[in-house]
Amino acid sequence: MVQGADKPMDTERMVLNFGPQHPSTHGTLRIIMELEGETVIKGTPEIGYLHSGFEKLGEYLDYNQYITITDRMNYLSPLCNNVAYALTAEKLMGLEVSKRTEYIRVLMCELSRIADHILNVGMLAVDLGALTAFLYGFRLREDIYDLFEIATGTRLTTSYTLVGGLMRDIPDKFDEAVIKVLDNVDVVARDIETLLNKNRIWQDRTKDIGIISKEDAISYGLSGPMARASGIDWDIRVQEPYSRYEEFDFDVAIALNGDVFDRYLVRMEEMRQSVKICRQALDKMPAGDVMVDPDLGFSLPPKDEVYNSIEGLIYHFEITMRNRGMTPPIGEAYVATESPNGELGFYIVSDGGRVPYRVRTRPPSLMNYSIFPKLIEGHMLSDAPAIIGSTNVIAGELDR
Amino acid sequence: MLLSKIITKVHDKFPSVTLDTTQFAGEDIIHIQGSYNLDVLKLFRDNGFNFLADITAIDNLTLGGFERFAVVYHLLSHETAERVTIKAYVPEDQPELPSAESLWKTADWQEREIYDLFGISFKGHPNLIRIMNPDDFQGHPLRKDYPRLGRKERDDFPVVKRGINKEAAQ
Amino acid sequence: MQPDDIKSNILTTTLESAVNWGRKHSLWPMPFGTACCGIEFMAVLAARTDIARFGAEAIRFSPRQSDLLIVAGRISIKMMPVLIRIYEQIPEPKWVIAMGACASTGGVFDTYSVIQGVDKFIPVDVYVPGCPPRPEGVVDSLIKLQKLVETEKFSDYSTTRGK
Repeated sequence: MVQGADKPMDTERMVLNFGPQHPSTHGTLRIIMELEGETVIKGTPEIGYLHSGFEKLGEYLDYNQYITITDRMNYLSPLCNNVAYALTAEKLMGLEVSKRTEYIRVLMCELSRIADHILNVGMLAVDLGALTAFLYGFRLREDIYDLFEIATGTRLTTSYTLVGGLMRDIPDKFDEAVIKVLDNVDVVARDIETLLNKNRIWQDRTKDIGIISKEDAISYGLSGPMARASGIDWDIRVQEPYSRYEEFDFDVAIALNGDVFDRYLVRMEEMRQSVKICRQALDKMPAGDVMVDPDLGFSLPPKDEVYNSIEGLIYHFEITMRNRGMTPPIGEAYVATESPNGELGFYIVSDGGRVPYRVRTRPPSLMNYSIFPKLIEGHMLSDAPAIIGSTNVIAGELDR
Repeated sequence: MLLSKIITKVHDKFPSVTLDTTQFAGEDIIHIQGSYNLDVLKLFRDNGFNFLADITAIDNLTLGGFERFAVVYHLLSHETAERVTIKAYVPEDQPELPSAESLWKTADWQEREIYDLFGISFKGHPNLIRIMNPDDFQGHPLRKDYPRLGRKERDDFPVVKRGINKEAAQ
Repeated sequence: MQPDDIKSNILTTTLESAVNWGRKHSLWPMPFGTACCGIEFMAVLAARTDIARFGAEAIRFSPRQSDLLIVAGRISIKMMPVLIRIYEQIPEPKWVIAMGACASTGGVFDTYSVIQGVDKFIPVDVYVPGCPPRPEGVVDSLIKLQKLVETEKFSDYSTTRGK
């Protein structure tokens, strides 16, 4: 027996800087950790390394121009941001869009949800050492990028919706391309689950890590998979449906423990439910046009009318000239939608002019990340990437 | 409880604090004086509105309103799926009001962001420092009198010198 | 050895060409991805567009072990000191690719908080336009950078201070 082996060993507290440039912080996050050995005593996050003044830009660009900026917020699922902003602007102006517009928006949102969740699971796996899940997931994501390119023209920053409808209609044969990708999603999801669910290392590194209780989830304003993994039964698509979600039949995934493993399971199940919604949207797709009537003064008339009739020309100039533009009513509107991260809402205040008076994004990543200091206390240093990965914090939305 | 019943309760309990109750696009907005925000929020929380969705602020310089700044709270009730907006007005010469961090922990970072971008302080906040801009930033960017292009903060960095021939030739 | 064997087995060149050939086919990048361009850069590394074909195989997240800095995404005023510090830690010879509109000129974000182009403070060799650029665009920029490396001389990297 070594002399003095029963005496506790005193260590000095070490302060470690995690980020802002680090391979496993997703984007530009910085955490100042106080460590005692390998255990984290206190972790203080510092954000704002990607603050770009989005809300100041909202007071300078007009309603349709700002849609290009909303893409750059949550850049893993840009179509969800476009749809949320368009819904808020339409509520402010009192516009009713056509049924076909709403079905196409649902289809695009759900495809973005699949892309977002698969990348989040892939990055969580890469941070914990399982590289294969990331490569499988990225191959599927490239297929979804191809679909976006067929419909909207670009892969990532789509800017697909306009106030009053969509920029252009989906092309013919689009549904066949989508069905091919949807069949592949089930295969990839099953492959990833085979690799990870019953894996001893995965379970040791994600079970009982970062447990969030129900009361904490409500007090910290969590929403989306983070809240549903702690047992809160709240999905905006079901409880406050927007864009005709009440006409679709799907289940909501809820888990009870609230640890990293549960959040991973909830995201995988949500991917499967999104596939279900996409198939229903394609089956029941109604015919129609994808823009409101130009007589209302919020959308551009079709080109042949612009060139051949005087009313068409006048309406075109009324919308696009810098000293004209749309005339929304004076008021404000807040619409909450269910993005892959949680409750994404836009709050627009209008003073009747062609640019909004104030545009505010309710960023789900900021609320989800604010619980991090409470979660990391008492865990080891190597649990930090697991907890950050399960939070799905996206720096563009966090800092705006 | 139904939202309209709660609003009448607010009017009864705090008649001098409530400045107005308006509606727009089917949603209810309650305008109150800033210093009594905690009482009104607590009333809503005890009556089913358990989730604070968002806190933000508006600078009413050119829009007009009761005061220059308005801090906006968006509340949600999980039981009845109803939403309500509460606007707490704060004057320009003394922009401060009590912090809602004692009621909901999510107010912590959001109030720091409002302090950083608008300059409105919150009494009782545990750690009211800047969150988005660097610590030595001067001014509050989202106020209407702050220019969009900034005041030269983005040009204020040293140019890196490599000290090799390739650089001298360029 | 017969003279014909020598002709077919030995290759003569200048030392600079040989060194440049080695350098250009083993540019190890360090991704400094902040925003949306970071996601497109991940797509460049993944299977469909594979940058490892061009020698940029070893993605090192440490500046001490890489020679190419790829600035992908918008740089805010809080992040600029970090970028300058990381740039100064990369040993010579080093090159910089400014990927995307935000790193080249500030992009859509003409606000108080975004640097209007990193080339105001650090020297940039290749600019890639696009918001975000297609992965093929990034590969094209790497090929252009390789052509640039071919034309370098040893004297480029000798110091100008103190003789």
